[in-house]
Amino acid sequence: MPPGYHGCYLRIDVSDGSADHVPLPAGVLRRFLGGAGLGAWLLSRESGACPDPLAAGAPLIFVFSPLVGSPLTTSAKFAVVSRSPLTDRINDSLASSGFALAGKRCGCDAIVVVGRAARLSVLVIDDGRVRLDPGGHLRGATCGAAEKTLRTRLGPDYKIASIGPAGERLVRYATISHDGRHAGRGGSGTVLGSKNLKAVAVRGTRYSTWAHPRELTERSRQLSKRSFGPATAKYRELGTAANLLTFNRFGALPTRNFQTGTFDAAAQVSAEEIRATRTRTRASCAACTIGCEHIYSIEDGEGTRLEYESLFALGPLCGVGDPDAVLRASKLCDELGIDTISVGGTIAFAMECVERGWLDEPWLTFGRGESVLRAIELAGRREGIGHLLAEGSRRAAGAIGHDSIRFAPQVKGLEIPGYEPRALQTMALGFAVGTRGADHNRSGAYEVDFSAAVDRRRVTVDAVRHAIDTEDRAALMDSLILCKFLRGVFDDFYGEAAEMLNLVTGWDTSAAELRRAAKGIVHAKREFNRRVGWTPAEDTLPERFLQGALPNDPAAALSRERLRAVVDEYHRQRGCEEPSPAADNASA
Amino acid sequence: MAVAMQVELLGIPRQRAGVAELEIEAATLGQLLDALAARYPSLADLFRAGRADRLGPFVAANLNGDRFVTDPRTRLAATDRILILSADAGG
Repeated sequence: MPPGYHGCYLRIDVSDGSADHVPLPAGVLRRFLGGAGLGAWLLSRESGACPDPLAAGAPLIFVFSPLVGSPLTTSAKFAVVSRSPLTDRINDSLASSGFALAGKRCGCDAIVVVGRAARLSVLVIDDGRVRLDPGGHLRGATCGAAEKTLRTRLGPDYKIASIGPAGERLVRYATISHDGRHAGRGGSGTVLGSKNLKAVAVRGTRYSTWAHPRELTERSRQLSKRSFGPATAKYRELGTAANLLTFNRFGALPTRNFQTGTFDAAAQVSAEEIRATRTRTRASCAACTIGCEHIYSIEDGEGTRLEYESLFALGPLCGVGDPDAVLRASKLCDELGIDTISVGGTIAFAMECVERGWLDEPWLTFGRGESVLRAIELAGRREGIGHLLAEGSRRAAGAIGHDSIRFAPQVKGLEIPGYEPRALQTMALGFAVGTRGADHNRSGAYEVDFSAAVDRRRVTVDAVRHAIDTEDRAALMDSLILCKFLRGVFDDFYGEAAEMLNLVTGWDTSAAELRRAAKGIVHAKREFNRRVGWTPAEDTLPERFLQGALPNDPAAALSRERLRAVVDEYHRQRGCEEPSPAADNASA
Repeated sequence: MAVAMQVELLGIPRQRAGVAELEIEAATLGQLLDALAARYPSLADLFRAGRADRLGPFVAANLNGDRFVTDPRTRLAATDRILILSADAGG
């Protein structure tokens, strides 16, 4: 078994508490590496014919990587892979810090959880030994409270990933939280909740080795030094929330359920304004030298992290220009354990339905921070209208009717992040073809739109190769695993990635081999989706984005034919044979 | 010939300079960046990393909200509004 790996995964059936160490073939590790890649392989292997992401037999997989535990900056990360209860397609969400380090020290490269505990429980993995502890006393606890309670009871060596009330109630976009960060998208926390698990606690002493420790340490030192430079300045100095004013300037800030691309009150909720009027502290994940987290004070005391995606989704998307309401809403999502993008998108969609008279909830209107807070609380606890909101915008549209699916802000059921597709059309392609739905973490195509390589408001087939490049690179980063905020420091990402991987594993992999591996990982995800029913018709955008220009920018229009052309070209270049009906089936 | 034009700063360039908008005299994009770095030295490391023939990779320049430009020799007109922003739009 190569250094950097344990060469097995721990398979746990929580129905009866049984556990096995299952060998991982060396060839599989070299092809799929770890994280999202190895997770895709394991999901295919473990899923069988299970038709329902929330069935007892459906696997939930925590995956580490060869770089976890190394001194390479940002490498303390883990992936959570399952079939999504929101999209019914593959879902891989990532989070950071001590859980990755302690989980890998349990002596495995992944933890596969199947089955369903008889009652609410905590899965405890102590150096590879597995037990189920009662979890009833944690019912209803917030993510942070559950983690704190368990750390107190089990001891500080344990690292804990937990769900909040939303995961217990099977809100379809519930997160898994660790140390305040979330494996956020697609409902990983819902799957954990469906197994009657409130939390997973891990500790271990089994360190993996490195093939070339001295050279690895020196390489890590150099990488850390570069990570202090201008490539990561945005993340250190303002955080991701810096995007808000930039996107607003370019008419690319989704506002009022994607009805427009600019927000009148953008300055009020900008990172610059929030920073100027509130106490701010910075934090980092374990083993990270970037320090991207900006934690802002709010009126009731404890501060909260704020990222661009939460800011956009709980602010402009819902028409809210009150920064305190947005900060409180973001904190509430963290506590309940729900994805800010999906809940913001679903609430904004519901607000538009109220505006059109299709939903009788007169309090739920654009621009009211208190309404957003109330709606989050109801969704997270599945109370009242929250039952509908907890289903996500695609299912909510099905229940509301009136062909409202036309403007439900989702692709494959996953709510669209904060990049207006008509103003950023390479990103529109990335959203349409994403294996887990509309996703800015699996496709970095927005980078292409903010460059001289394309006309961002008139996508052509030339953009397809760029979109594929960003998707491949993301797949590799998510499998190694390294934080994407590091990407700007690499002059030759694939070459440097090969060098780092070789220092850990002793392999002789090359940039070319890693390029092939990246494509293979994307292919594995697409193949899983095909197996569970994906058709090319799913690779499209809601009708709203294909009917006319943005009101604030006549040049920002994406025709059905243009989307079809680039999606078809994407399928051709990815090796999918079927021509895509794409935009003809916008509501599919 | 250098002409005066409006420059908008966004993201880290705005944060470091402490201004959102200003007027700069320049004939080309390269001259504009040199003038900005001279006025706001904290921007210099963002601009310095680019190759002689190409801006970047840490900042991006856009003309009038429409077209991104990378060549420092790009001619600028008095009617242009130049946007200087962090190149990384990741969130």
